[in-house]
Amino acid sequence: MTETAAAAAAPFTLERRRARRRAAWRRRRLVLLLMAPWLIGFSAFFGYPLVMSVYLSFTHYDLLSSPKWIGLANYKYLFRDDPQVGPAVKNTLWLIGIMVPLQVLFAFGVALMLARAKRGVGFFRTIFYLPALAPPVAATMAFVYLLNPATGPVNIILEKLGISGPLWFQSPQWSKPSLTLLSLWGVGTLMIIFLAAILDAPRQLYESAELDGAGPFQRLRWVTLPTISPVILFSVVISVIAALQYFTQAYVAANIAAGQASQAGDQTVNNLGYPEGSTLFYPVLLYEQGFKFFNMGYASALTVLLLAVAFTITVLIIRHSRRWVHYAGAVK
Amino acid sequence: MSVAVAQPFVRRKVPAAVRRKRFLVAVANHSLLIVAAVMFLAPFFFIVLTALMTNEQALSSHLWPSPFRWQNFVDVFHQAPIWRWTLYTMMYAVLATLGVLVSSIPVAYALSRIRWRGRNLVFATVLIALMLPPVVSVVPLYVMWSKLHLVGNLGPLIIPNWFGDAFSIFLLRQFFMTIPEEYLDAARVDGCGELRILVTVMLRLAKPAIAAVALFSFLYTFNDFFLPNIYLRENPAHWVLQIGLSEFRSLHQVQWNLTMAATLLVMAPVIILFFLAQRAFVEGVTLTGVKG
Amino acid sequence: MRRGVIAAVVLVGVAAAVVGGTARSSAHAGTKADTITVWVGWSARELKAFKSIAAEYDKKHSDVNIKVVGGINDDKITAAIRSGNVPDVVSSFTSANVGSYCKSGAWLDLKPFLSKDKLDVNVFPKTSQYYTQYNGKRCALPFLADVYGFYYNKKMFKAAGLKGPPKTMSQLTAYAKKLTKRGANGSIKVAGYNPFLGFYAGNAPDLSAYAPLFGAKYIDGGGKSQLSKDPAWGRLLRWQKNLVDFYGYKNLQKFNAGAADEFSASHAFEIGKLAMMIDGEWRVAFVQAEHPGLDYGTAPAPVDDAHPNLYGAGYVNGTIIGIPKGVKHKDQAWALLKYLTFNAHPLALFSNAIRNVPTTKQSLNSPEIKPDPRFKTFLNIFSNPNSKTSPITAAGNAYGTLIQAFAVKWQAGHAGDLTKGLQKLDKQIDAQLKQAQAGGVP
Repeated sequence: MTETAAAAAAPFTLERRRARRRAAWRRRRLVLLLMAPWLIGFSAFFGYPLVMSVYLSFTHYDLLSSPKWIGLANYKYLFRDDPQVGPAVKNTLWLIGIMVPLQVLFAFGVALMLARAKRGVGFFRTIFYLPALAPPVAATMAFVYLLNPATGPVNIILEKLGISGPLWFQSPQWSKPSLTLLSLWGVGTLMIIFLAAILDAPRQLYESAELDGAGPFQRLRWVTLPTISPVILFSVVISVIAALQYFTQAYVAANIAAGQASQAGDQTVNNLGYPEGSTLFYPVLLYEQGFKFFNMGYASALTVLLLAVAFTITVLIIRHSRRWVHYAGAVK
Repeated sequence: MSVAVAQPFVRRKVPAAVRRKRFLVAVANHSLLIVAAVMFLAPFFFIVLTALMTNEQALSSHLWPSPFRWQNFVDVFHQAPIWRWTLYTMMYAVLATLGVLVSSIPVAYALSRIRWRGRNLVFATVLIALMLPPVVSVVPLYVMWSKLHLVGNLGPLIIPNWFGDAFSIFLLRQFFMTIPEEYLDAARVDGCGELRILVTVMLRLAKPAIAAVALFSFLYTFNDFFLPNIYLRENPAHWVLQIGLSEFRSLHQVQWNLTMAATLLVMAPVIILFFLAQRAFVEGVTLTGVKG
Repeated sequence: MRRGVIAAVVLVGVAAAVVGGTARSSAHAGTKADTITVWVGWSARELKAFKSIAAEYDKKHSDVNIKVVGGINDDKITAAIRSGNVPDVVSSFTSANVGSYCKSGAWLDLKPFLSKDKLDVNVFPKTSQYYTQYNGKRCALPFLADVYGFYYNKKMFKAAGLKGPPKTMSQLTAYAKKLTKRGANGSIKVAGYNPFLGFYAGNAPDLSAYAPLFGAKYIDGGGKSQLSKDPAWGRLLRWQKNLVDFYGYKNLQKFNAGAADEFSASHAFEIGKLAMMIDGEWRVAFVQAEHPGLDYGTAPAPVDDAHPNLYGAGYVNGTIIGIPKGVKHKDQAWALLKYLTFNAHPLALFSNAIRNVPTTKQSLNSPEIKPDPRFKTFLNIFSNPNSKTSPITAAGNAYGTLIQAFAVKWQAGHAGDLTKGLQKLDKQIDAQLKQAQAGGVP
């Protein structure tokens, strides 16, 4: 703009600028209003607990008297003396290393079959999805009963087939596989996500691969998997997060199974982790320390450790995924 | 060999051998599906059978009830205060879902349709909150609620849901992003303020996502055991269905036939809800996965 | 029209307020009773018996309304005290937890109440005095005691040609093998004696029921855990595993999974699936109520072959009762507590009903007691000088959990070398105790 034109336009631009600033102010106020609930929620139910957990982890606090500062004693006990931490960590790692891959693979396999089916897709989809809706408590109790080594239908049928069934939830070697079976029963949600992603894959890629002479397995490897790789990543991440907070099924299964071994009447027995600590996962240990023994300080130390581990694992998975995940277009 | 009918494109004629092979593959695929379906249905099948047995039969090696004891479903109600548990479960689920909707929709809107500084940072923070399980915050929160004397009733369960839920915010935001700006601009031209736009235009356009969020929220709170177990366990007057079910036993023993009947009753509402809102469910799950 | 509606609404509102107000005031004028809530662990038949005792007290005292809640366990007690929603009187079956209750102040110190009313705790047996206090701080009183003895099926004994109950562990093993009946491929149809830790109360996995029978002591003079040093523990565990291996670990698990719950009417011993067992004295009342025709006998439990002089002893503990922190009606709670624990009348009546051991000399000799020959066995065991209870520690019963973790591994054959395992266990218990005493974990 020439000097004169600029000078003439000055008050006009100023008006514009003021109006823009006012609009921006109004917008900011609106945003604040809309975001208010989240802001409060985030500070109160996320930020505050985080800070408090760190603080409490350096104290001894049983809710009966005020927190007593004991420095690193909780962490020393955690890393050195607590006989339950090692098994709890191992059990949770078992879930991440074995249960999660099985869940993802099984969900993917079923979704693949369903994607290829021509008839009755809706019917099958309903059957596969329904168990995923069942309340975990109900499903766990049902499975513990069904897998009762003496009176459960599974072992009775196996017996009729001449196989001596394992002790399922009563055996430390079989309790985690039994829990895995339970979780496989409930992969419906993952399966539907995979199904949608597989069906979403562009047909042209398949057709051109077929023209190039690719067989079904090669099409799977080079077309399907890369196309749905973001969904695979998503499934793995949410399954790992679920494994890190795996509580309800372990808690209910341990209590019911122990009750089946006739410990029900004895109230001095601690059933968590039954049998032989094989179902003592990290969240179960946290619960035991925090809400059974009310060692709030020590439970906070356990919490801080869990936070660190959860964060690290998630970052690792996401970083590693950059190598094999293909994002179509610029969506991300 | 039949000639292709008049169609805009010419179909490649498939040789019989290939057709046969494709047919066999389809049959194999379908058989696998049927086997898988049987395996998925089997647990339900046995639960129903056990729910119809007498207690002695449930503890024996019999697989088939004789006679069919439909009475069990009535006995369950005599054994435990199922109705009261249901009432409290519904209070929790409905109030929590309402809270999630009321608090998450505005946040999602602000994160998707309004440009402001720091928006992406805040969204990233929401995502981080998604990654961290509730287990992590439960100890200090219990201390807080305990000091407020709210342990033992539904408050600690319902209240946090009125301040935004990370998953719902995420889902809604992703969906809101897909709505073309033209719809909103049309409303803006008509002189609507942003809030009006949100309520009148957005809500109507985002119905599937909102339905999905409501369904998931309801499902999650209905099935929730972890939080009720921590906050309500000591107060049987306020128990929800999941706690009640886990403690379902007669005074002296676990009666498995009644327990299985109770299990079915607890699963029923969710399954009925699914059949009523099937499409919304499946669309919702798809939304999560594909946009996630 | 609208005005009419508003008027009607106002009228209804005023009427409701008036009616409500008068109702409330009349309620106030008549009753002044405070509701005293009592939490107990009993349920069903036993709870009914306690409720009748409480009702009797209620009738005699018009200033209180007693509300009894049954089915309570220690988890509920601990949670309630933390959250502040406490009853007025609380009781527990796990006397071993008194250490943590007293130390943390969860249950109130009763000394001021006792000294004010000039009550002497020496009316209670020494053992009962021990498991209701920690380090001199008394936060509980005993309310009927429990003692473990031996039950055997006389009919099965006669059929097998066995004369009387076994007196030593080796005899027990021999009898057990003789009385066991097997089914197809090794499964157990009738078990002579089930040694599986965790199966019914007599096999408490913290080994408490067996300890007095072997003379095994948990803690040495210096307060340190001595499971690896006291040879009795090794003998106990080896005897136990021997018998488990005879049955086969998997067969026992299957037997347990198919056995009915401990307090159901289909209890394995009561229906003849189990020939002998160690159980608490309360079983006498259960059998009487559920299977009065059962031909069985009671005796002291068999003891270690190396210590035959221990015969007649058994494990003792009992119900402890106290006042929780945060109580709302302290004085009335104490009045009820005093009545229940010191008066011969409620103790004798309740003992008759649920067949637990009366905890005062007066109640033991009360004319209201209904004698029962099978129950008398337990009274004798209770007064035997070798009968012992679990040690009371600052960590409550937490050491029991550690022992349980080891013992269940041991019986499954997963614990490796016994001595090394016990030494590690001792270290864990000592570390745990040290933390608890210093105010740390657990």
